Amino acid sequence: MGWVTADAPRRAELSACVDCGLCLPHCPTYRLTGDETASPRGRIAAMRAVAGDVIAIDDAFEDMMSFCLQCRACEAECPSLVPFGRAMEGARAELTAQRPDPVRRLRHALLGRLVAAPWPLRLATRAMGLARRMGAVRLFPAVIRSSLAGMRDVPRPLPTVRGTVHLAKGEEIGTIALLAGCVMDPWFGGVHEATIEVLNRAGYRVVVPSSQTCCGALAAHDGDTRRARRLAARNIWALQGTDLVISNAAGCSSHLKEYAQWAGDGGVILADRARDITEVVATAIDEGRLPKMSTNRGAVAVQDPCHLRHAQRIVEAPRTIVAAAGYQPLDLADDQCCGAAGLYSMLHPETSHRLGENKAAQIRGTGSTVVASANPGCEMQVRAHLENWYRIAHPVELYWEALRENELRGTGKPE
Amino acid sequence: MTSVKSALQRRLAAFLSDPIEGVADEAVVVAPPTLDEAAAVLSVASEHSLPVLVWGGGTHQGMGGRVAPAIVLSTARLDSIVDWQPEDLTVVVEAGVRVADLEDLLAGRSQTAVLPEVPGDGTVGGAVAAGISGFRRLRYGPTRDRMLEVEVVTGDGRLVRGGGRVVKNVTGYDLPRLATGSFGSLGLIGRVCLKLWPLPAAARTVTLPEARPDYGYRPLAVVEEPDRVLVFLAGTPAEVEARTAELGGGHEEGLRWPGAPAGSIRLSLRVAPRLLPDALEQIPASWSYQALPGVGEARIGAADFDPVSFSEVRRWAESHGGALVLIEAPGHVHESFDPWGTPPAGMDLQRRVVARFDPDRIVNPGRLPGGL
Amino acid sequence: MVSASVRHVTLVRELQHLLGDDRVLADPLRTYVYGKDGGIKRGDVAVVTLPENAGEVIEIVRIAARHGIPVVPRGAGTGLAGGAVPTRPSLVVSLTRMTQIEVDAESRSAWVGAGVLNLDLSRHTARYGLHFAPDPSSQAACTIGGNVANNSGGPHCLAEGSTVNHVLAVELITATGEMVVLGGDAPDPIGLDLRGIVVGSEGTLGIVTRALVKLTPNPPAVRTLLAAYDRVEDAAATVSEVIAGGIVPAALEMMDRPMTAAVERFVRAGFPTTAAAVLLAEVTGHPAAVEAEAELVRAFAESNHSTEIRVAADEAERALLWKGRKAAFGAVAQTAPDYYLHDTVVPRTKLVEVMAKISQIAERNNLVVMNVFHAGDGNLHPLMAFDASEEGVLDRVRAAADELARVCVAAGGALSGEHGIGLEKRDLMPLAFSEADLDAQARLIEAFDPGGLFNPDKVLPAGSRCFDIGRPVPEGTWI
Repeated sequence: MGWVTADAPRRAELSACVDCGLCLPHCPTYRLTGDETASPRGRIAAMRAVAGDVIAIDDAFEDMMSFCLQCRACEAECPSLVPFGRAMEGARAELTAQRPDPVRRLRHALLGRLVAAPWPLRLATRAMGLARRMGAVRLFPAVIRSSLAGMRDVPRPLPTVRGTVHLAKGEEIGTIALLAGCVMDPWFGGVHEATIEVLNRAGYRVVVPSSQTCCGALAAHDGDTRRARRLAARNIWALQGTDLVISNAAGCSSHLKEYAQWAGDGGVILADRARDITEVVATAIDEGRLPKMSTNRGAVAVQDPCHLRHAQRIVEAPRTIVAAAGYQPLDLADDQCCGAAGLYSMLHPETSHRLGENKAAQIRGTGSTVVASANPGCEMQVRAHLENWYRIAHPVELYWEALRENELRGTGKPE
Repeated sequence: MTSVKSALQRRLAAFLSDPIEGVADEAVVVAPPTLDEAAAVLSVASEHSLPVLVWGGGTHQGMGGRVAPAIVLSTARLDSIVDWQPEDLTVVVEAGVRVADLEDLLAGRSQTAVLPEVPGDGTVGGAVAAGISGFRRLRYGPTRDRMLEVEVVTGDGRLVRGGGRVVKNVTGYDLPRLATGSFGSLGLIGRVCLKLWPLPAAARTVTLPEARPDYGYRPLAVVEEPDRVLVFLAGTPAEVEARTAELGGGHEEGLRWPGAPAGSIRLSLRVAPRLLPDALEQIPASWSYQALPGVGEARIGAADFDPVSFSEVRRWAESHGGALVLIEAPGHVHESFDPWGTPPAGMDLQRRVVARFDPDRIVNPGRLPGGL
Repeated sequence: MVSASVRHVTLVRELQHLLGDDRVLADPLRTYVYGKDGGIKRGDVAVVTLPENAGEVIEIVRIAARHGIPVVPRGAGTGLAGGAVPTRPSLVVSLTRMTQIEVDAESRSAWVGAGVLNLDLSRHTARYGLHFAPDPSSQAACTIGGNVANNSGGPHCLAEGSTVNHVLAVELITATGEMVVLGGDAPDPIGLDLRGIVVGSEGTLGIVTRALVKLTPNPPAVRTLLAAYDRVEDAAATVSEVIAGGIVPAALEMMDRPMTAAVERFVRAGFPTTAAAVLLAEVTGHPAAVEAEAELVRAFAESNHSTEIRVAADEAERALLWKGRKAAFGAVAQTAPDYYLHDTVVPRTKLVEVMAKISQIAERNNLVVMNVFHAGDGNLHPLMAFDASEEGVLDRVRAAADELARVCVAAGGALSGEHGIGLEKRDLMPLAFSEADLDAQARLIEAFDPGGLFNPDKVLPAGSRCFDIGRPVPEGTWI
């Protein structure tokens, strides 16, 4: 057997694939290249080759695995239910273990440092904000520049919701622990604000435990399994005791739902309670606990983050939310990955750029200048590829604006 | 009588048939009753490199290069309906079965082989070998789309089968399709299996005064003549009723197929369907025609041979990716006007394929384009 | 594993010089990945090339011929008969990057690159109210080049015919590295119909880089019906009566109970999972025609004891029903770890008899069989599910495949309805054809590709090319 870790791609996962090839047209890297080795089927074949001792992990294997966006669009289409995302995480874990690489080690260490506590990222954020205000973005390496271009304007002082508690408005029907998130907290404070306000009005008390940490998705996707486990363990402890655990970043909510793999029994318990904000808010709207507003606010292009649509199979919820806010949701020409894919934009900038351009063109094609995106990585990628008159916001932010306006006007009545 | 001819008559005594009027007096006419016997004839012919002309109903002998045969192989006695499976919509017939006879038989069970509607004495083998399709090709596609299986007697006397007696088949290479329009270059087409279609319950012929860009969704057939258009409708009674109303114009019950256009010289003008109106502008006013919109063919009748106008029209057609093909003409026309025009691409390939079936090139030699 | 590139250093270098490093794959892992298609066999790949235009394909062919290495064309690799699997170390030419489409809406035709996905073509032509009629289950993934090579079918080929009916011309690269366009957009191109031979030739005669295809107008009206039965015989009888009754539906598909259950788990379209057989029928055409035909189909279903008949209420429901049908093969993989998908055709009148025999074959060989197929044209797809890790099971699967082919041929059927002969059924060809027949086909290949450059050892078994049968061979002739 060519594997050395317990996280390696499992026999049952790999043998589920029957080589039908129906995943191919949904894979962005296959679509770009036409290359079987850049397809989910090809990657599974490579994993099988290693598992069967036909070949040892080599440069070609690493390249094939690394080129994968881990968007899991293939999983959503696979009639044989191959858990591709899990298998790929296993392959990444194997690469970390079998191919020691100083660049990878450094990357793991840096990321680990950045998310271990809130302050390193807050410091870095202040530096980046300074650079942007001084027009010194050019000084930053190209790989980070596009991320900078995609950032929101971050207010001073840097907001945080850590350590806060927010009571339900009206009757309390449950408690929610909110994942503050590593970049969500300093960079997307507006989304947190909207999240908390809306959840309160839906009847939830929201707590944001300060001892929580990064969900660990990036570490898991990059094969840094030890760190992913440590982060999961900490979160299980920090986020216990509430009815639900919510994240408003699709990448994080998706990962929380998979905590069973990363943290035993505690992981199962948390995974059961984990939700994305869009599903909870959409349900509250459907059940009448949150109003539908009638003022027509125009069209909004709905961008489906891969970890919302493909990994969690949540498609309708963001549309329900923006429709309830008074927008007309518009679909894009396809649901292909925008190219952000976590660290991908830094590791494969050219491919990330091409996919970003494609997605931007699709958004332009809708004619709408407002875009709803339920994931920070996607929001930044899309913003970096669009003109500055486009507004990209989380569906719940759009809903909160409409709701707040209605409340101020005193017309918060359902249709 | 030449010594070759008399020697042949002795050798092929078992199959001798009556001479065919006006055809190759020097040739020996034979009409073998089975494919094995036809194979024997072709074996003899190959051995002695004697050209053979295959004769069905004689309706399309005017097409292609002229053959000076030593033997005329008539399919008159290859005339059995071998196997008709009405519930599976297939029929196997020998080459000499008359198209009219087959369609009459099939009509008894409300079925059709969608072969040419005004066949005269034409045979099934002839329609296939000449690649002739009926007006209904607009709706059902050309004859080659219904060729399921073919049994060929090759030029050197081998019995070769390709395809199968089922309506859907990708087993091996598509010899039935290759045989269609092969004009004997693969040998004698001995037996074919054809896919059948049901005859619709209702049918009507609508006459319109002039051509239109659109005749509705998939009519059965449309024939545009210089002074009128015939639209043929078939289907369930309700459908035919609805379509008649949509078209307007006068109508009659049943399908009134027109006879061939008048003229001692008949041609087939073939272009991409969208170019058909332009093509009709190129032809002299004296030519009569039946144009098939949506198909891209115009069946033409001309009274006189004018080398200039014939060449002009052919030049126009070929420069637009099409062809002007001679169907029937008096002998002198063949001498000055190539029956096909510019040979198709891949002549080399064509020659090599034919050589594999007819190594001595004795069956209808020179009939195909490029002198093949 | 010895790196193929060691054996073919100059070959790889020449190819890299032509295409650049990115589009030539020669490392052991990548060449390994390209050794398989959707079927069960794996072959040995020396090097993979990804050309972007016909000029590059021509050069690749010339280089391959010079090096004496066989060339295996490949589309999306969804074929089930091993058509894209090399039998000896080969140069794989992947056509997937040749994705140009040029539509001539007025002529209802389009020049399409071999790498265009079947469904992408229809998506592209939708704006003109046109579609490409051949719709195999793999249409979301398979390429037009693959469709041309296999003469692909699909449920809607019942009324429209297979791919060959929709190909007006092919741009073919021959074994001598020349390009020839066979056919054209005018009807009845003069000369031999070599275009018709190339379609369905499974990559053995050359590489098709582009095809001029016919596009079909979207029908103004469509009705899709689902009928459930308590007995397979009743469903089959309905099919026979529909055909005999003079209706040729746009599609007529059947699934048995295990298959329907697997599909429903995956798609949730509301398929009746307790029925012994389910019929999916579709009629298209003029609105008046469709109403009448749908009623007739319903009447035939009712008279054959259908327990439930449902008509799709809208396009969304229709799409879901078809999604279920087309995902059938993959959905099955949830039932058993492995499966062998058969493809065979029998006359429609023999459907019931052959299906019964197939059940017996499965039972005798201790295998589970599930059925989904194009009942309208007698194209059966029995699916034998099994667990490959079980000892001796592969032998039983092989034995069953063999028996099944014999049964179908004996019933007057054909070896393959749409998947092709490829590698998988090559050695069964003598069941369908005599020595003389196979010899003639071998000579045909020779006419195109005398050196056997393209996809050797496919379609025809070894030794098909025998010496003259009709005439004695002169003494001393080397055969």
